[in-house]
Amino acid sequence: MRPTLLLLPFLVACGSLGTDPDAAAAREVNVYSHRHYDTDAQLFEAFTAATGIRVNLVMADDDEVLTRMEQEGANSPCDLLITSDAGRLGQARMRGLLQPIKSAELESNIPAFLRDPEGHWFGLTMRARVFVYNKNKVRPEQLDDYKDLTRPEWKGRVLVRSSENLYNQSLLAAMVAHYGSEAALAWAEGITANMARTPKGSDTDQLLAVAEGIGDVAIANSYYVGKLMSGTEPEKAKARETLAVAFPRMGPFGTHVNVSGAGVARSAKHLPEAIALLEFLVSEEAQRLFAEGNKEYPVRPGSLAEVLQRFGTLDPDTLDLAQLGLNNATAVKLFDRAGWR
Amino acid sequence: MVRYSRPLLPWAIGALVLLLLAPLTVVVTAPFHAPAPEWAHVFRDVLPVHLLETVLLLTGTVLLSVVIGVLSAWLVAAYAFPLRGLMRWMLVLPLAVPTYISAYTYAALLGPTGTISLWVHDRSSFRPDIVDLPGLIVVLAVVLFPYIYLPARAVFASGLREQLEAARMLGAHGSRRFLGVAVPLARPAIVGGAVLVAMETLNDYGAVKYYGIRTLTTAVFRSWTGLSDLGSALRVALILVVLVTLLLWVERRSRIHRRQATDAIPMSRQRLTGARATLASGWCLLVLFFGFVLPGGKLLLDAATPQPAYTWTTDLIALRNTLGVATGAALLTLLIAVLLIFLLRHGQGSWTRGLVRAATLGYAIPGAVIAVGVMTAAGTIDRQAGLSFTLIGTIGLLLYAFTVRFLAVAVQPMQGSLARQHSEVDDAARMLGASPLRTFLHINLPQLRPAILAAAMLVAIDVVKGLPLTLILRPFNFDTLSTRVFEMARIEQLRETARPALFIVLCVLPPLLFLDRQLARSEG
Repeated sequence: MRPTLLLLPFLVACGSLGTDPDAAAAREVNVYSHRHYDTDAQLFEAFTAATGIRVNLVMADDDEVLTRMEQEGANSPCDLLITSDAGRLGQARMRGLLQPIKSAELESNIPAFLRDPEGHWFGLTMRARVFVYNKNKVRPEQLDDYKDLTRPEWKGRVLVRSSENLYNQSLLAAMVAHYGSEAALAWAEGITANMARTPKGSDTDQLLAVAEGIGDVAIANSYYVGKLMSGTEPEKAKARETLAVAFPRMGPFGTHVNVSGAGVARSAKHLPEAIALLEFLVSEEAQRLFAEGNKEYPVRPGSLAEVLQRFGTLDPDTLDLAQLGLNNATAVKLFDRAGWR
Repeated sequence: MVRYSRPLLPWAIGALVLLLLAPLTVVVTAPFHAPAPEWAHVFRDVLPVHLLETVLLLTGTVLLSVVIGVLSAWLVAAYAFPLRGLMRWMLVLPLAVPTYISAYTYAALLGPTGTISLWVHDRSSFRPDIVDLPGLIVVLAVVLFPYIYLPARAVFASGLREQLEAARMLGAHGSRRFLGVAVPLARPAIVGGAVLVAMETLNDYGAVKYYGIRTLTTAVFRSWTGLSDLGSALRVALILVVLVTLLLWVERRSRIHRRQATDAIPMSRQRLTGARATLASGWCLLVLFFGFVLPGGKLLLDAATPQPAYTWTTDLIALRNTLGVATGAALLTLLIAVLLIFLLRHGQGSWTRGLVRAATLGYAIPGAVIAVGVMTAAGTIDRQAGLSFTLIGTIGLLLYAFTVRFLAVAVQPMQGSLARQHSEVDDAARMLGASPLRTFLHINLPQLRPAILAAAMLVAIDVVKGLPLTLILRPFNFDTLSTRVFEMARIEQLRETARPALFIVLCVLPPLLFLDRQLARSEG
């Protein structure tokens, strides 16, 4: 075979680039999203089926998406911004990328602490930062408060991923908001001192490590735990047998939560469609899919996934979520000072 | 040498270079005017550790890649042993595995809770764990060493015949000929490959993040996303640029006294027998196993596991998009690279060389940072030109961004090939009345053909494997294979990354094997 023939597929593909058979659809809404879940694709399909409005999607990381919206300015095709961090939504608002929306539907279904008071953004789902422990080695009474894990008896037993991870940053940002920087630093130092190993891998990796006895308790996001515990992969069977969940509190406050949420872009060219999609995402049907498909806590009361019910009751910290964004940089600096890799 | 200039063409190309430089200018000048509120913290508490771990990772990866690449190249070029013919081309295969995929698969096998680690731990008290700095060095080196293996093999096989024959007649043994003669003479080729390994290592984000290693690239993201301080992030990016410029300077110095072998006579291979033959075959098999068979096998196994929610069409469309973008980016990059090469050969003095060097710095900067530069430049054009739409999110801008990023990859082989063309021929053509353009088209360009093809393949490979540019700059509803892998990895569904990852490997194989063949032909 002539070597140049090997390259034929490249040329064929180049010719067909950018052709899109469905481009003629009349009503559409353009979404920039940080969420990469299969559930979201299903939700958008259901929305299109119900309304005839086509959903166009760009998925990328939060900060990159915000920079892109900023540079696109008034010409930005984005109608709806979806992220998985309240802090980023607050930032998008401060940078003038979102517009306020008045919607009785949204306001009556989303608790006040999970949305922007002026309607710039709305929480769609909650994810809690929980403790996951080995049932055979740990009693849940030992795990009431996030601070418990800084006690000396936990030395060499705590598993948590790197501080590069946003959810660790939000957790510490919440502590800064409640207790101030000094106490938050003390917590970060206490956890660093008790780590079973230097932070590595993903949240799921921390859970598997607890099951393998590398440590006894992990700090992880609730939906990764939900996915693992409701999964069927044989190599994770041991984890499903040995792990249990505790909901630590932050002193007098509840368990730390962050949200996935959405806001309508200031530049939106399809405003009614964007609001329709937003309202659809808090409908009972969509909230159930978020819960069942992705094991997230719905913002709308009711419809919990079965696996989440087994974990116990989540009593979320009702801290103003804008605080997470405001204190994120402080949290990262504290992690650096604490030596939490 | 006769030089004269027709003002129009060089100026047109100059304008083009400026267009290419726009995003780089944003990145390189931002540190001096963009606010960097957290810089004091970044400088004191972030940079020292991140710089240290960068240097450790870089040194380790480059050294290990050199050892694997040079030793394998020497065995294949200088000796005959069982399986040599097969190993000669198979040893380039690891380059088809992107570093982040290598990192994920190795962690799934040999990480603290990896399949192999658990198996070992069940039978002993030992728990293998590759997820740390030394582990990452191995994981990167076993897929990056072909950058060194390929050029070293070419030089060993055809460029050093006389010197090695002389050494042999003087009674030097194999190891002595290798370390004392071949390696020093092949140094420019080895250093050139090592610089590519270094750049890939510096640019990696997926693997270092997963392994919990703190590098300059993670410092860029920590500043940008963690501290919400793009200004500091760009300052760190500038440090990266300086570091890479330094590496490129080292590479150029190593070429200064290079005597290019023009009489490519294949080296006669010495036949190995007995234990030494087994050792040689064993070494090559071992390298191939860790660089390709193990990660590739793991991908195959995962890809074969049933995935109920999986739809082939998504990946097939992603495959089409990937191939399309790779081809488009390769063509555009080549076109511009050829223009630059023309400027280099027939343009005015040192400022052209300076411009070309500057325009190729994009390779030094993390893709996500290039994306910021490209978006800033495009946004400015949008506003200044009063466009009613935005250039951001068009395929054109994406291809342009790839050109900015990978121009160096295309220019380098062409520059090397051009240096081998004697300028006396140009001068003769010019004295006979041919214009610079005609001279270039009829004299220089035909001889550049193999280098141009090689450049195209290299760019296409980089685009297929590369991630952040597509992720940030893509149009609506536009997936490529690497964005598919990224999205699945992001939500910790590593098994679901296997199918698109396997497609990436398959896409990279044809251009890779083409490159290998082309080199092999010149080796005789």
